[in-house]
Amino acid sequence: MGLLDDVQAVPRRTMTLFLLADVSGSMRGSKIGAVNDAIRNVLPIVNDINDSNADAEIKVAALTFSNGCDWVTPEPKIAADFEWTDQTANGGTDLGAACSELASKLSQSHGFMKSGSGSFAPVLILLSDGGPTDDFERGLSQLKQNNWYKAAIKIAIAIGDDADLEVLAKFTGNIEMVIQVHDVESLKKVIKCVVVTSSQVGSKSSSSSAGADAPETKQEEVGQAIAQQLQGESNVQIGQEAANVTMDDNW
Amino acid sequence: MSELQIGATVHLTNGATATVKKLLGEGGQGYVYLASVNGKDMALKWYKNPPSSSPEKFYKNLRQNAESGAPAPMFIWPEYVTQHEQGSFGYVMKLRPEGYYEFGQFLINKQRFASLHAIFTSAIEICEAFKALHAKGLSYQDLNDGNFFIDPKTGHVMICDNDNAFPNGEKSGILGKARYMAPEVVTGQRMPDAYTDKFSLAVILFYIIYMNHPFEGMKVLAHPCMTEELDRKCYGSEILFIAHPTDKSNAPIKGLHNNVIKRWPLFPKLLRDSFTREFTAPILNSPNKRLTEMQWLDILTSVRDELIRCPFCGEETFASLQKCLDCGKSIVVSNVLEIEKRRLPLTDGNTLFIDRDDTPDMRIVHTAQDPSKLVIQNLMQNDIEVQTTTGQVRIVKPNEYLPVKVGLQLKLKIRGYQYIAKIQ
Repeated sequence: MGLLDDVQAVPRRTMTLFLLADVSGSMRGSKIGAVNDAIRNVLPIVNDINDSNADAEIKVAALTFSNGCDWVTPEPKIAADFEWTDQTANGGTDLGAACSELASKLSQSHGFMKSGSGSFAPVLILLSDGGPTDDFERGLSQLKQNNWYKAAIKIAIAIGDDADLEVLAKFTGNIEMVIQVHDVESLKKVIKCVVVTSSQVGSKSSSSSAGADAPETKQEEVGQAIAQQLQGESNVQIGQEAANVTMDDNW
Repeated sequence: MSELQIGATVHLTNGATATVKKLLGEGGQGYVYLASVNGKDMALKWYKNPPSSSPEKFYKNLRQNAESGAPAPMFIWPEYVTQHEQGSFGYVMKLRPEGYYEFGQFLINKQRFASLHAIFTSAIEICEAFKALHAKGLSYQDLNDGNFFIDPKTGHVMICDNDNAFPNGEKSGILGKARYMAPEVVTGQRMPDAYTDKFSLAVILFYIIYMNHPFEGMKVLAHPCMTEELDRKCYGSEILFIAHPTDKSNAPIKGLHNNVIKRWPLFPKLLRDSFTREFTAPILNSPNKRLTEMQWLDILTSVRDELIRCPFCGEETFASLQKCLDCGKSIVVSNVLEIEKRRLPLTDGNTLFIDRDDTPDMRIVHTAQDPSKLVIQNLMQNDIEVQTTTGQVRIVKPNEYLPVKVGLQLKLKIRGYQYIAKIQ
């Protein structure tokens, strides 16, 4: 009947997942290969999450940076329509430029955040294996004034031993949201885990685990969920390394 | 991460084993595998990590639920729990039957209910299921759109994710899902229990019937970015029903919320009154006064009773509307079957459902000789005993007919329960 044929999909808020990928020269070889592979493989999973999700429409945007930065698609797209072009690694690490560019697009009026039925706070995932070669602080300070950035869930994946953890922690605002990976297999696993967990943020039940560790923000909640899933993974380390010793009271 | 390998075997507490055959799905909490248990295909849910801050309590509760059995057949309930092994644990349950789709798929219009009858059947089944669950002293604590699988043709419901069902008053460690949590849970004044379940249930019922969220109108949509702080306001401290009788500041928006805009005025007043009562002060903030599942069942059954087929175009409509929802032609209901407190319209082409299942018990047709003359066919397996206005008793056997005549009294039996009805 007309009434049932005319059903309209419920309006969903948009949740945009931003991938900021370092494609500088140092990523050459297996690292960039693993990033390409992991992102290609995780997109169908994100699409599945989007397909049965009445809470949020998940869109993906990817910004690659080396000498300057480029968006992989001209605007955010749902995972089914998002085409990841395999990246090659070359040049410097213009993370500052990437931050400025991101800040310019985190805007409702002249950026990516336009949505008829509103948005959820975006998820920003930064992947990098080195230190910035441009004026990072300038880019970051622009980003820090952006309200979308302030509300966003920010996660960084530090690839290998040369990643500048301090810089990544400045981006996420918290060292606990920086995940270090030391081999390509772990990198693939971590990318999948981070993307999937953060995509589910709008459609997951919250827990009430009391105590000092109870998450107070969505960012902490996602951080804890990721940490839980990566527990026991060798070659993956979350946050600052802590010495596993007990000190006596006689000091 | 404790992913199981294909071919891996885990031990159940009853001594049987479950052998992993295939990964069916992965969620935040765990994996679901197709597994073989005693040669039978079942679903194995395997936790990625202990799902609560006190895993032992969670495990014990899960075992207890498995032992006491499903409260109602709609639940895909934990049947056997596994031993602790390979760093985690899980449980086995029935596989979801074919033809059922996640409720979210209906909301994003990938699946559609075939009929209004199917819509109200699913609402009724959900109420029956939670009535049974609460009657067992349990609370669900995490009622949301992800829990339900519905057959779009019949409206039959299966309920999954039952591992957070805890004795009422005990904490499962779950607060629930945003947009479905009771406002007093959102604001932190109360932990989930059977009363907050009733709020989530009403949200689900509203969503199924009107296909839009009851608290998301222009006020909520006005915020470009839903932050956590706004979340607490829009669904907690400043929650406002989209159809609030006086405060229109959160009214639905044309173009975005067309389903509810269209359906709200057309669907029976009883529904409007019930949801308005439930979703506005003072009841909104009085968990103990929320409608019980039994009350919802009465409301929904009487609304489903109102469904008739339009004699002109054959589409469904509500008797109280006195016209067809589809072709708009006016429909006169001359006779009804009064049965307990219910009034079932006796219009040409209508089917009657006496008990709450969706197997028709009687149907109304016109006679070949005289299209204006209506008769009732007995579709039940038992006889109907009819007493005429002159006191004569006649038996109407299965598939036989009786006339639609004012004053006839009917005695009928369904599943051992006797009903007395009267044609008016």
